[in-house]
Amino acid sequence: MELFNSESKKIVSDPINVNNPISLQVLGICSALAVTIRLDQAIIMTLAVVFVLCSSNVILSLIRNYIPTRVRIVIMLSVIASLVSVVDELLKAYLYDMSKQLSVFVGLIITNCIIMGRAEAFALKHGPSKAFLDGLGNSMGYGLIIIIVSFFRELFGAGTITLPDGGAGYVLWSIPDSWYAAGYENIGLLVLSPGAFIILGLVIWVQREFAGVEEDA
Amino acid sequence: MYSNNYTLFFVFIVTVVLGTMLSFTKDSVKDLQDQNLKADVQKTILRSLNFDESLLLSNESIEQTFKNSIDAKCVNVEGEIVDCNIEEVDIEKNVDTLPIYIRMDNDKVQGIALPIAGKGLWSTIYGYIALNPDTDSVLGIQFYKHGETPGLGGEVEKKWFTDNFVNHPIERPDGEIQYVPKRIRDKSGKIISIKVVKGGVDYSKTNNASIHQVDGISGATVTADGVTDFLLEDLLRYEKTLDKIRDYGTI
Repeated sequence: MELFNSESKKIVSDPINVNNPISLQVLGICSALAVTIRLDQAIIMTLAVVFVLCSSNVILSLIRNYIPTRVRIVIMLSVIASLVSVVDELLKAYLYDMSKQLSVFVGLIITNCIIMGRAEAFALKHGPSKAFLDGLGNSMGYGLIIIIVSFFRELFGAGTITLPDGGAGYVLWSIPDSWYAAGYENIGLLVLSPGAFIILGLVIWVQREFAGVEEDA
Repeated sequence: MYSNNYTLFFVFIVTVVLGTMLSFTKDSVKDLQDQNLKADVQKTILRSLNFDESLLLSNESIEQTFKNSIDAKCVNVEGEIVDCNIEEVDIEKNVDTLPIYIRMDNDKVQGIALPIAGKGLWSTIYGYIALNPDTDSVLGIQFYKHGETPGLGGEVEKKWFTDNFVNHPIERPDGEIQYVPKRIRDKSGKIISIKVVKGGVDYSKTNNASIHQVDGISGATVTADGVTDFLLEDLLRYEKTLDKIRDYGTI
């Protein structure tokens, strides 16, 4: 298995950078807007998506030659939905507070276009090892963006930085009271969905600048 | 082209494999989930009774605190104590077995938590309201389970909404603003509950009822009306019990 040749590297790194599912293809932004209020939520959501996307890609790639074409969408959905349910149940058992905060959005990973999209576009056409790398790259590309967005939303919206800790979250840093006393104020807009749109737009702009992508006119 | 038989066979196999995987997962984590759920309910009760957050950090300390400081029992609508398995009582269905959780300190009632539940917009909302020993002023209110839209009806579980019930601003003669809890009884002692009002409470002098009102949630009028309705309905079931506690200090 040629895990670390240049082609494999490209499969992983492309979706993180020049072909990022969120910032370039603008897929999966529903959950990217919803779970980016706090950093710890975004990190757990990223882990959930990494697990679901890598496993669904590998499983579907393994059975790709046996899936009847007519029912492939149903099969893909069943596999993805089952994996998401497993994640949901595990979160409820081991990270109960987090699962309450993420609420419906864990279940909604099923409808995240990135996952169906990678299954249809990649996993059904390539072998399991490549499918795994593709899943890893895309889920990390997704995670990178939502972690960046949530970092700024939480910092400027709520004035804290929270890491996941198994309970209600560990506050790594929060804006000292002296700043508030000196007149600093949190930007309430960032906690709401419009704030997510604004930050996401800025991230997309910066990221496209870096990747050197130009839109066809 | 695959034959119909093959397609059906394939779908059948996939269903069986995935179904087995799901039931296996659910079965192996069910106990843990149940423990979390139980601790979550106890945490909600303790929170409504204004226990310190530092006691509520782990499942173990929640259970310990609950066991040590809470007297949990059931009453009927007449205010008499009845036997029950308190964890199994479904307050939505049972009309004559009503759970009540009393915070005791040195044999004195410090607070009374009552389960409340009712329809919001999409779902049944579950929570607890806690009253001070005067059975009139609110000690706290907490919601722990609902399926309302996050950001709209889902705001009922947020601190800003629940804090509404314990922060009624009154202006003291010297001009300072003082915060007192909202009240569920009118001047004659009748239980009239608390209304969630659309648009926010009118705190002007002409509104005599503002102590029985809390701010609503924009975009979630149906959820708010639901809370108003089931709060009154559920509190009335405890009327005789609450009267007893107010008059005699015990049930």
